[in-house]
Parts: sequence; structure tokens; C-alpha cells
Amino acid sequence: MSAATHLLGNIWYGLIGIILALYVVLDGFTLGVGMLSLFSPTDARRSVLMGTLGSVWDANETWLVLLGGALFGAFPAAYALLLHALYIPIALMLFGLVLRASSFEFREHARNKRLWNLLFALASFTVALAQGLALGTVLQGIPAHHDHFTGSILGWIAPFPIVVAAGVTAGYALLGSTYLVLRTDGIIQERARRASFGLALMTFLAAATVTIWTPFLYPAVAGKWFGVPTLYLIAPLPLLAVGAFWILVRALRQHREVTPFVATVTIFLASFAGLAVSLHPDIVPPTLTVSEAAASPLTLVFMLAGIGLLLPIMMVYNGYQYLVFRGKVTTGSGYPH
Amino acid sequence: MNTVMLSRFQFALTAMFHILWPVLTIGLSLFLVLNEALWIKTRDPDYYRHARFWAKLFILNFGIGVATGVPLEFEFGTNWAPFSRAMGNFFGNILGFEGAMAFMLEAGFLGIMLFGWRRVAPKIHLFATSMVALGASLSAFWIMVANSWMQSPAGGVMRDGRFIVTSYTRAIFNPYALWSVGHMWFACLETSLLVIGAISAYYIRRGEASSFFLKSLKLVIIAGLVVAPMQIFLGDGSGRVIFQYQPTKGAAIEGHWKTNPPGSAAAWALVAWPSAQKQKNLWAIKIPGVLSLLATHRLTGRVLGLRAFPRRDQPPALPLLFYAFRLMVAIGFYIFGLMLWSIWLWWRNKLRPESISQNRLWLGTWMSALPLGYLAVECGWIVREVGRQPWIVQGIMRTAQGASRLNPGVVVFSSIGYLILYAILFVTFVLFFRRIIHQGPDLTLVPPHLAPDTPLVGEPPREAQHPLDEP
Repeated sequence: MSAATHLLGNIWYGLIGIILALYVVLDGFTLGVGMLSLFSPTDARRSVLMGTLGSVWDANETWLVLLGGALFGAFPAAYALLLHALYIPIALMLFGLVLRASSFEFREHARNKRLWNLLFALASFTVALAQGLALGTVLQGIPAHHDHFTGSILGWIAPFPIVVAAGVTAGYALLGSTYLVLRTDGIIQERARRASFGLALMTFLAAATVTIWTPFLYPAVAGKWFGVPTLYLIAPLPLLAVGAFWILVRALRQHREVTPFVATVTIFLASFAGLAVSLHPDIVPPTLTVSEAAASPLTLVFMLAGIGLLLPIMMVYNGYQYLVFRGKVTTGSGYPH
Repeated sequence: MNTVMLSRFQFALTAMFHILWPVLTIGLSLFLVLNEALWIKTRDPDYYRHARFWAKLFILNFGIGVATGVPLEFEFGTNWAPFSRAMGNFFGNILGFEGAMAFMLEAGFLGIMLFGWRRVAPKIHLFATSMVALGASLSAFWIMVANSWMQSPAGGVMRDGRFIVTSYTRAIFNPYALWSVGHMWFACLETSLLVIGAISAYYIRRGEASSFFLKSLKLVIIAGLVVAPMQIFLGDGSGRVIFQYQPTKGAAIEGHWKTNPPGSAAAWALVAWPSAQKQKNLWAIKIPGVLSLLATHRLTGRVLGLRAFPRRDQPPALPLLFYAFRLMVAIGFYIFGLMLWSIWLWWRNKLRPESISQNRLWLGTWMSALPLGYLAVECGWIVREVGRQPWIVQGIMRTAQGASRLNPGVVVFSSIGYLILYAILFVTFVLFFRRIIHQGPDLTLVPPHLAPDTPLVGEPPREAQHPLDEP
């Protein structure tokens, strides 16, 4: 394995991590609001929830498309192995995404919005659960021989992935509820604020369980967590996450509007960085490493020029779109009719 | 059925359904840019109303396009893992470029385009619409580059079972790339022109807002006069490279079995029934000499016949290929004829709002042309993809080698899932499409101020803080 492949592979591991983190946070709150809309008592309120997403859901989902393409190009072997192994969770996720996008569009045209609102919420649930199951299955380890999947296509039906799925779903819902605290007011904001406490507790419990469970799955991870000097690199992350949980609960008590969302995003980023550091140098544990899965140096350089350099520009124009639509949403969204 | 066939069925289903939507997204977004620009330039509020009316159809169509596009990107991994592993260095890279340069651009400005009318200045809105249109067209560019490379791979070597790129210029601008990008992009334009023209004709025929829709129909005719002949030219060029780089596909779509001897010209079968089993046409009506001319642009150009290749290298479903190709070509010429007829009427000053609704035959012809672009696109897809078989990457990897080894049951599961979902999407689309058409355009819509001294940007009034701030 050449030094160039090693270096470029690790740069791309980092870039894909950034794209994945952006996707998880942005679509996380979108999916979260979608799931929470299931518990809205009236269609009018549900419409306000959808109104907070109208201008951004498509852009948020697009980070997943970018993720897929970047992974496919930079780590073809990892893309192939992961998607083959995760066939059923991915299929469920895709069904959910198809249904979510189309029900969001259709409800804008529908006179009776109830059906589409319901489908939107159910689709969001499906996507969140499927992504959680996929993550859990990967963390549990994907059996492979010479990069070819050798495990069971039903490997995701196991206690560990189910716990992870519960955690991801609760976490997305928490992102959604704190986003609603930020973007709405009145009764809707208050309901979102109250829901955040329970969701924060569920997220915390699931995250703690996964954190304790993971080192038992891999001796390599345990070695890193309890070895020097990696311990000093990893230890701040759970501390940061616990601190963010504490700030989150306090901010919710104090009726703050911005801090809860920021704290939740911090929890996600800390957990995410923890996973990325723990798994490295594996990209698909336990057999496929970053360097083994990496594309050729020329491809990685070419992609760096074509995607890496564009990444900041994408963030700018996506940010501009958020800026244009800043402020509280008070009534239901609607495309101009 | 085995897993390979099931995965092929699923890919065909999801790709052929998906392609229906982006073709209109690409063409209609450019039409929206045109109308917004015309409005800003001429200050004629009708162009603004056109932009707003067609945007409704755009949104409905766009949502399904996005929804059905995402699965395709992941299907390469789920159902074609060995292909992805071997070809990801180039193919995956290009899909990544599509996401970063095209899809993201489209999505990043879509919100402003749809909801931003009262939040940003008209020129910024035009910029946002232009970025959506640019993103949509760039998407077609990268996807067709990736697909062309599967037909005429170039720019690299196979090493340890993986394609390693040695020249990106040659891989991206592979022999098919520019012809294919052009042919597909013009297919999008032509299909969209037919949809806009057919809907405009529908309203004119009913005597509703005749002068309003005559404006859009005339724009369509002007564009069509360029697009339709250009598409015939691009189709011819795309066809000729087939005979150069994929002779099995070329012979299959023309029902051509025996290579013409040097000095003689190959005959062209107008209609025929090719039989793989007998390795000949069961019957055919042939025109002497024409195939050499079509395929090579030379009187006695050599055209390899299917029999020059072992059966295991010949494409399947020969009658399907043969007739899908003919239907596509026929539609291309028919549309050109329709455009000529239209400009002739215009030239004779027959396209006047007060009298045009009486020309029911012409309007009816326009209306019935609505599905023709879609039909041609699907035929083109069949010619291109079924014609490439048995290869997944021409000459390098066979389709059977590229398929994931999956239990057939799980592929049946996902295929049925898509079948049900897409059936629901299609039926619902038709229902809402009818509703949009029934509602018609809002001819009382007042455009935002265009005067430069009017405060447009900055803090909108409080009641305009939500997306329902539209007139």
C-alpha cells in the first residue's frame, strides 16, 4: 500500500466523515420533525411543522446523495461491501425516502392533507429506524472474505442493531424537537420543548448503552479506549457529549431557544467523532481498512479537486438558503398556488 | 428467475420510471428561466404568470424525480456490488461529481426558487432558478458521461480486477460521451417542449386564455424548430458511433445478420422479425444499400453482421431492440414534421388568438403529442441498455459477473416494494396533474415590483415571515 494511497485515503475518510455528519444533523432534524408530526393533535399544527421544512428538506436529503457518490468513488470496495451487506435496511430506507419526498410534495397539492401528513410521518420513522439498523449492523461488524460479503443478509436482526436504531431514532427526534423550539413559537414551541426532555433522556440512555457495549464487540476498540495515548484523544469526546446533555437540559428548563439545538448538534458531533476515531483505521469493521478500500491515488486526487474544493461552496449556498428563510414559522407551509 | 435477471428487472423498473421525471425537470426549468428573464426584460406580467403557472407542474414533477432518483445511486451497491467494486474508481467518482456539482446546486437553490418570490429581488430569484436549471442539466451531463463510459470504456486499464483511471480526459470524453450527452439533453428539451405545447394547445382548444397560452405555444414552436432537427442530427451521430464501438448493438437494432462483402453495400431492413434461434430474420422488407449509408455515411461501408459474433456475445430480445429503435426514430421525424406544420401556419398568419381555437386538428395533434417524447426516451433507454447486453461494461465485464450474489427472495422483496410505491406515485401524479390543469393559470396575479428603488431585499414585513406570503 503506497504512502500516497494511505494519506489520500485518510483525507477522504475525513471528508466523508464531514459529509456524513452534515447529513446526519441536517436530515436528522428533518426526519425528527417528520416523526414528531405524528403526535401533533391537529392538521393545522402539523402543517406548521411541515412549514419549517419546506425550503430545506430537499437540500438536506441531498447530502445523502453526495455521501453515496463520494463513498462509491473514494472507497469502491467499502461502498460495495456495505450496501450488499445492508441490502434490506437500505431498501427500507430508500422506500422511506421515496415515500417521504413524494408525500411532502403531494400534500402541497392535496385538499385533504391528513393522508399525506400521516404518510410523511411514517416514512420519516421508517428512514430513521432503517438508518439506525444500518449503523448498528456496521458497528457490530460486517463479515467479509476478500472484500466479498460472507455474512447473513438478516444480520441486522440482532439486539445490538436494535438498540442503536432506538438511539438514532430518539436522537433524530431530539434534533427535530430542539429545531422546532428554534423555529416555532407559542403552543407548538412549548410542546416541542416539553417533548425534548424525554427524548434527551432516551437518547442519553441509548448512547451510553452503545458506548459501553462497543468495546466488548471489538478488542481493537477496547485497546484504543483504555490505552495510552489514544485514551487522551478519545476521552474528551464522551466528556463533551455529557457536558452538552447537561447544557441541553438546563437550556430547556430556562426556555432558551437556540441553545438546545446547538447542544443537541454538539452531542451528535461528539458521538460521531468518537465512532470515527474508534473505528479507524477500519472503514468497514472488522476486516476492511481505509487504505485497502481506497480508490487509486489519481481518482482520489481528482475527486479532491472536484468535490473537496466544492464542499465549502456548497456550504455557503446552502447557508444562504437558510438565511433567506430565517425567522419563526407561524402558519402552515404552502407552495404558492 | 435467477438473481441476475431479477436485479436487471429491478434496475430497469427503477431507471425507466425515474427517467420520466428528470426529462421534464431539465426542460421545464430552462423554460422557467426563459419566462422569468422575458418578464424582467419586457415587464409583461403574462411572462411572470407563465413562470408561476408552469412552476406548479415543475414542483409536482420535481418531487417525484428526486424521490425516485435516490434509490438508483444505492442500487449499484446493493444489487451490483462486484461491478461497483471493480468500476468504482471511475464510475463512482462520476456519480460523486453529479452529487456535488449538479444535485447539490439544484437542491441548494430550489427553496428560494419555490418560496422566495417575496423574499429576494426578482434578479436574485432569476439567478436561483438559473442555478436549479444549471444543476439539472449538469446532472444529465455527468450521468450520461458515466453511462457512456459503460458503452465505450476508455481512459484506463484493468489491474487486479479493478479499473484504474490513467487519463481522466479520455475516460470522461470517451467516444460516446458528447454524442450521448447531447442526444439526452435534447431529448429532455424536446419532451418538455411537447408537454408545454400540448398543455397550451389544450387550453387554446377550449378557448380558455387563448392569447396567454398562444405566447407559450409560440415559444415552444420557435424552440422546437431548432431542437427537433438538431435531435435528428444527434441521433444520427449517436447511431454511427454504435457501429464503431458496439457492433453487436448496431447489428441487433437493425436486424443485420451478415457482414456485407467489401465493395458491396449493406441493405437496411425497414421492418423485420429477427430470430436469435435461427440466426436470421424470419421475414424482412429491405431497402438495398441504405444501411451502409446510415451506419458509416459511406456507400459501401462495412457493417458487421450479428453472425460475426458468437451467440454468447449477442444482445437478447432482438425484436424489442429492433422496434424500440424504429419507434424512437419515427417519433423524432414526426415531431419535426409537427414543428414544420406549426411554423407554416404561423407564417401564413394563422396563429391569431381570435381564430386559432378553430384549427382543432392542429391543436389536437399538439395535444396528442404530449406522451411522445417520453415514449421516445424509454425506447432510447431500451436500445442503449438492452443493446449493451450481455455486457455491463462493454467488452470488459459481463452483466452476470457484475451482479451481487443475493438470495432471489430479497430482490423480489425490493422489486415488489418499488413496484407498489411507483404505481402509487404514478396514479397520484396523474390525479394532481389533472387538478393543476383544471385550476389553470392565475391571470390576475400581480408581479412583484421591478422598480429599482422599491425595497425588495432586507427584512420583509412580519406577516410575510412565513412561506404563505404569496398573493
